[in-house]
Amino acid sequence: MVGLIVRLRFAMWRTAMSRSPLHLVSSIVGALAAIGVLALLGPGLILLAGQPVRITALTVPLFAVITLMWGVLSLIATGVDSILDPARFAVLPLRASELARGLLAAACTGIPALMLAGLALAQTGSWLGHPAAVPAALLGGVLGLLTAILFSRAVTSALAAVMTTRAGRVLGAVVVSLVTLLPLGLNLLLTTGSLAADLSSFDATRSATVASWTPVGWAWALPFDVSTGRWGAAAVHLALALLLIGALWVVWVRRLDRTLTSPLTSAGGQRIGHGRLLPAVLGTSPTATVAARRIRAWYRDSRLVGIALRTAVLPVFFVAQAVLTGMPGLAGVGVVTLAVFAGLTLMNDLAFDGPAWWLHVAVGVRGWEDRLGRALASAVVFGPVVLLTYAVSVAIGVIGRPVPWLTVIVVAFLASLGLAVAVGAVLPGTAPRTGGNPFAATSGGAAQGCLTAIVSFVGPVVLTLPVAVAAAVTAGSVPGRWLTLALGTAYGLGLLALGVILGGRRLDRRSPEVLGQLAHAQL
Amino acid sequence: MTEVGPGDPALELRGLVKEFRGRRVVHALTLAVPRGSLFGLVGPNGAGKTTTLSMATGLLRPDGGTARVLGHDVWADPAAAKAAMGVAPDGMRLFEQLSGRELLLYVGALRRMPVDVTAARAAELLAVLDLAEDASTVVADYSAGMVKKISLAAALIHAPRLLVLDEPFEAVDPVSGQTIRTILRRYVASGGTVVMSSHVMELVEGLCDRVAVIAGGRVLAEDTIGGLTRGGSLHDRFLELVGATDSAGEGLTWLG
Ligand SMILES: Nc1ncnc2c1ncn2[C@@H]1O[C@H](COP(=O)(O)OP(=O)(O)OP(=O)(O)O)[C@@H](O)[C@H]1O
Ligand SMILES: [Mg+2]
Repeated sequence: MVGLIVRLRFAMWRTAMSRSPLHLVSSIVGALAAIGVLALLGPGLILLAGQPVRITALTVPLFAVITLMWGVLSLIATGVDSILDPARFAVLPLRASELARGLLAAACTGIPALMLAGLALAQTGSWLGHPAAVPAALLGGVLGLLTAILFSRAVTSALAAVMTTRAGRVLGAVVVSLVTLLPLGLNLLLTTGSLAADLSSFDATRSATVASWTPVGWAWALPFDVSTGRWGAAAVHLALALLLIGALWVVWVRRLDRTLTSPLTSAGGQRIGHGRLLPAVLGTSPTATVAARRIRAWYRDSRLVGIALRTAVLPVFFVAQAVLTGMPGLAGVGVVTLAVFAGLTLMNDLAFDGPAWWLHVAVGVRGWEDRLGRALASAVVFGPVVLLTYAVSVAIGVIGRPVPWLTVIVVAFLASLGLAVAVGAVLPGTAPRTGGNPFAATSGGAAQGCLTAIVSFVGPVVLTLPVAVAAAVTAGSVPGRWLTLALGTAYGLGLLALGVILGGRRLDRRSPEVLGQLAHAQL
Repeated sequence: MTEVGPGDPALELRGLVKEFRGRRVVHALTLAVPRGSLFGLVGPNGAGKTTTLSMATGLLRPDGGTARVLGHDVWADPAAAKAAMGVAPDGMRLFEQLSGRELLLYVGALRRMPVDVTAARAAELLAVLDLAEDASTVVADYSAGMVKKISLAAALIHAPRLLVLDEPFEAVDPVSGQTIRTILRRYVASGGTVVMSSHVMELVEGLCDRVAVIAGGRVLAEDTIGGLTRGGSLHDRFLELVGATDSAGEGLTWLG
């Protein structure tokens, strides 16, 4: 059974890659990224072998955090292979524990798990200086690996259970959105308490001890306990780690069992009012109609609720950090980042429609109407959020010079919108399935490929930079500032218009091909 | 803009070719659907019916050949062709976040119809198709038959001159089925044209004026019902044309 499922996974993977070059590219990029992480972290970890225990102990908090992040990331990234959606096995006479073993084996053969295994091995290398700790490190590595993978499975499957109702989906989206901001929160804590970087006085023992008593640290603490001769603690940690793995396994098998016996997830009896407000405000042109539908989606569609929340909470951290550290540029950068993210959410807007977009093709909606409608929707949804964050930052005085920053923010927002509507028409990207786990894939998406990522990172910077420079140069003079704001806004609107025209033209010319791309856009 | 003569067929496919990854599934398919007819498209699974209809409606780009709707070339002048026809494809998802009524209003607005006209027609269509009670339910929660019916309503809302329906009766209950038959007959009587695919021979026989039998991406026969069946049943004629073999007769003995 186990071998069969693993083979099935590889067969499906191969088909996916041979069907779409994007899949192939993203798999290669994923593998390269994993090798890169290994090449960076691996030697560093092994170099720890020559260091005293107080430094080598660093592996404990490090791997505890990695394990924690594993669970968190599996919620937002394609941590759970949608290829092997357990619901698809529902019609087969399979017991949940059998299926779980197979799925676990399949998960272990994935690129992320192999990378983690490599890191765990390097972690064993870290303890080479303490021979007694090496077997403990090896055992800890295996247990830690199992903990991480089972943790992510248990968390996602338990969450997917909550997500079967509409209210649950929105609730889950809120929770997970906030949880995924955890690393930013950690960053916030780290910058407030200054981190000792001096190796000679560096002492990881305390943080290792703390981390060793968290569930994600139990397994990784074994070599640390052994090398410091605390055999009692080692025994307790081993017992706890085994118990945790057992518990996660039971939770996961239970959830799988439930999925196998009731695979149909309900979308949840949603009834809709008349919705007269948006047409009244926006009008009834095709553009306004598309915009109204996309605006409604931002609160009706649980997949988008999560993205909206993450995007909106992001700048709060920047602003908070600016207040805490007193660095003036930080809040401004935060709002600009929000503006860019808000604009780029449009990048895979088409993927959220998926194959349902045929309606636009059959009706003959003009490409520019489709593009402009979506840009309008994002402007209506995120424009106020961006401006509000800006206004709050100005009000509490964390933004240095209000007008130049406003110029950069407006241009960044408009340029990102323009970029997204143009690129989104060529690379519609991927989105989670409707009614499925909203965290199966976010805007990044697995098959999205590195191209979109590069465009998303570089594009807004390149497009905004000239105006940012102009804003900085003219910041000194009052009329200069306002003139730059006016010209910058005109430039941003020009970019948006260009994006709408170029993206629209592409949709007009290649709509059947785009429709073909969208047939595989939902994971 | 092409010259549109009154004598043009409602739908004219000429030499349509489609290949998927080197495998040709539609072979230079030529078909003319006269105006005011209810035209049935039948053929075994994988015959290329959906592929052909997708190419005729601008959803799938052909590798060769032309498709004309009421004289407008679908691929050279898509705007005019798409304005003239209503499409209900098979197995294509709808915007699931919209309620049934919203979906109809959405299509109406995209087709630049006045809001009050769309609203009145939507209410009427929902009532006739027995969807009034679920007008405010999101399409995601619709049953398979309800999805078929709302797709049909969306195709009808702008009173097109040509209707292209891929398996419109699939999963539809007998009462709604009867309603749809009545609607289609009345629509054709008033000068509209319907092209529909179906697997139910009795339905095609009783409802359609003309039939084309397609298999392996080619038209095997195309005629009026009477001309094709010559007194027999469409069912038998179909089996005869596609060369049915009684393959289930010998195999599968282990099944009992
Ligand atoms: N996107 C696609 N990629 C590859 N092959 C396809 C694709 N769509 C259709 N085909 C192939 O084209 C052929 C015709 O398919 P089509 O869907 O047109 O058949 P159909 O007559 O509608 O069948 P059914 O009666 O089952 O609906 C089939 O062999 C199918 O495998
Ligand atoms: Mg078909």
